[in-house]
Amino acid sequence: MTWESLKFFAVGAVLLWSAGAVFAFKRNQKLWSALLTTMGLIVFFIFISGLWIALERPPLRTMGETRLWYSFFLPFAGLLTYLRWNYQWLLSFTTLLSSVFIMVNINNPDIHDKALMPALQSPWFAPHVIIYMFSYAILGAATLIAIYYLIKEKKIDNKVHLMEMTDSLVYAGIACITLGMLMGAIWAKAAWGHYWSWDPKETWAAATWIGYLIYIHYRLKNEASNRTSMIMLIVAFILLQICWYGVNYLPSAQQSVHTYSS
Amino acid sequence: MKNSSRKIWEHPWRYTEGIIIAAWVILSGILLQVTNGNIKISYFGAPFNTLIGILFITALLFIHFTSRNRHVTRWLSGAYATIPAISALLLLIIIMGLVPQISVDTNSPKPTHPFTMVGWNQMTTSWPFILICFYNLLILGLTIMKRTTRKQSWRDIGFYLNHLGLFIALLGGILGSTDIERLTMNIREGETEWRGTNRKGIVKELPIAIQLDTFNIELYHPKLVIIDNKTGEMLPSNRPENYIFEEIGETVDIAGITLEITDYLPHAAIINNDISVNVIPMKMEGSTSALKVKVNKEESGDFVEGWVSNGSYLFPPLFVEIDQNKSVAMPVQEIKKYSSQITTYTAAGNRNKAVIEVNKPLRLNNWMIYQYSYDNSKGKDADISVFELVSDPYQKVVYTGFFLLIAGALFLFIVGPKKKTI
Repeated sequence: MTWESLKFFAVGAVLLWSAGAVFAFKRNQKLWSALLTTMGLIVFFIFISGLWIALERPPLRTMGETRLWYSFFLPFAGLLTYLRWNYQWLLSFTTLLSSVFIMVNINNPDIHDKALMPALQSPWFAPHVIIYMFSYAILGAATLIAIYYLIKEKKIDNKVHLMEMTDSLVYAGIACITLGMLMGAIWAKAAWGHYWSWDPKETWAAATWIGYLIYIHYRLKNEASNRTSMIMLIVAFILLQICWYGVNYLPSAQQSVHTYSS
Repeated sequence: MKNSSRKIWEHPWRYTEGIIIAAWVILSGILLQVTNGNIKISYFGAPFNTLIGILFITALLFIHFTSRNRHVTRWLSGAYATIPAISALLLLIIIMGLVPQISVDTNSPKPTHPFTMVGWNQMTTSWPFILICFYNLLILGLTIMKRTTRKQSWRDIGFYLNHLGLFIALLGGILGSTDIERLTMNIREGETEWRGTNRKGIVKELPIAIQLDTFNIELYHPKLVIIDNKTGEMLPSNRPENYIFEEIGETVDIAGITLEITDYLPHAAIINNDISVNVIPMKMEGSTSALKVKVNKEESGDFVEGWVSNGSYLFPPLFVEIDQNKSVAMPVQEIKKYSSQITTYTAAGNRNKAVIEVNKPLRLNNWMIYQYSYDNSKGKDADISVFELVSDPYQKVVYTGFFLLIAGALFLFIVGPKKKTI
């Protein structure tokens, strides 16, 4: 399996996810929708596994490799949320966003080789990055809902239900980024002797964490405004994007140990 | 619904008062920073850090038990005070993410730029940052205490895990940071060292000694790239390609050039005399890797064959020139793994053997010994290992906080938010 094969698996996966998204709009076809989306996820995961085996290391080291997992987890998070909360448009959104990231990957292929520096040869590597990519997908889904809310506010019937769904996603998302952050800290202590050194990536991870914390605490009060809450989610997601890949471009972050190697 | 008839500073306080107070904390910090400069961590080492911790917790308990029913205390234990406080912390963290930070150990001249005068380039040791952290810890502590006063429900388990965990980790982390010691030790194979050097260059004698028995290093297989003859840049310049050697006989395509690998020597010597360059297999210190490649030149139908090597401290690198613009080159090999086999000695007379590698440190008395790096002047024949020794007395405190937070995060994930009753 090489990176060149991505486009074939991507086409298959995106077609299946799109079909799943279409079936979500049909009445009483929830099972078909779930089945098609799951098949798409299986196809995409076959690519990821194949790449993992071919590279003889977890495909988590480069920017493009993390985007791959994001494209996988987004429809996964969308599917779980759809099954639980029944919002028909959600699968279309997650399929679209996932496809955007796949397109980015196809147009900007990384160099992939088997080399993995000693610091990354640790059992913490895969769980730390994977749980972060999973949380980014959940919080991405929450951001999509926030954008949907801000655009369609007047047409939404059951705002309470939608806000409950958003809260559930953010709680799950912040739980995962907390676990990812702490895994990173414990790993850092074992690798470099310090659990937190305010490396730019860590700084922006803390900023992201606090951003979502503000949302959660704001929502505790009954008089919290839905609009304000959704805007908070979008701001927090911007912090997340800066943490994920913005740090590669910030002048203050050029010496970071976390800069993705290509 | 906004209570528009309430004037500012009239109880019950809400967000506005929170914003003003948080801003006041930051301004006080700025004032302290401008007059006193950065916080000098050395002043707060043991036992002062523990003393401050005890005093802080005592003060929290005092405030809670004597004034828990007062308006200000109740406000300080809730979301209205929390949100502006953590927003203020967020603001400083964002600034820290945008302004390049300099290490605490550098001897910097007196700050004159507005950003440096308020400590923005050394945020974590600046007064505004530390004051905002303690303001947040105050709110956090009082919120935890307040929760104990109402009827407990099973949901409170999650609350306590997360809030107590954060309190312990944050307070422990701040206080503990003053006690962390880091020393590096450079040891040559066969030699013993008992002195470490800290970041300021000061040498310290230790009650432990390390003897480096063997240093091992493994490299990944050699890579081949196509470079531009004039600039030395790897091609194509927007997305450089490379090939990691796998086996002899393979044909590969790099940057539009087709190469055949015709031979491989993992240990080679390069003998250069006036007439020719000879590459011969030779297992010796300073030997290099070499790959023989054959390049077909499309236009002329001709081919060029030769050895490519990245050289070593004894031998120069070798290139195969394809044409006047491009050559085949071998970059420095990437490190796969390195480790040190050591014998440790303690003042008490204990002697033990151990292996230290990256991600696998060794605990010896109060010190954690890490494989930090190595002296690479001899490339793969490196024989000087560099260790970092770290002493962190507050580690157990911070880890207690971490484990509570981990349990709290799992609780959040499984249980989720409380459904609002309208």
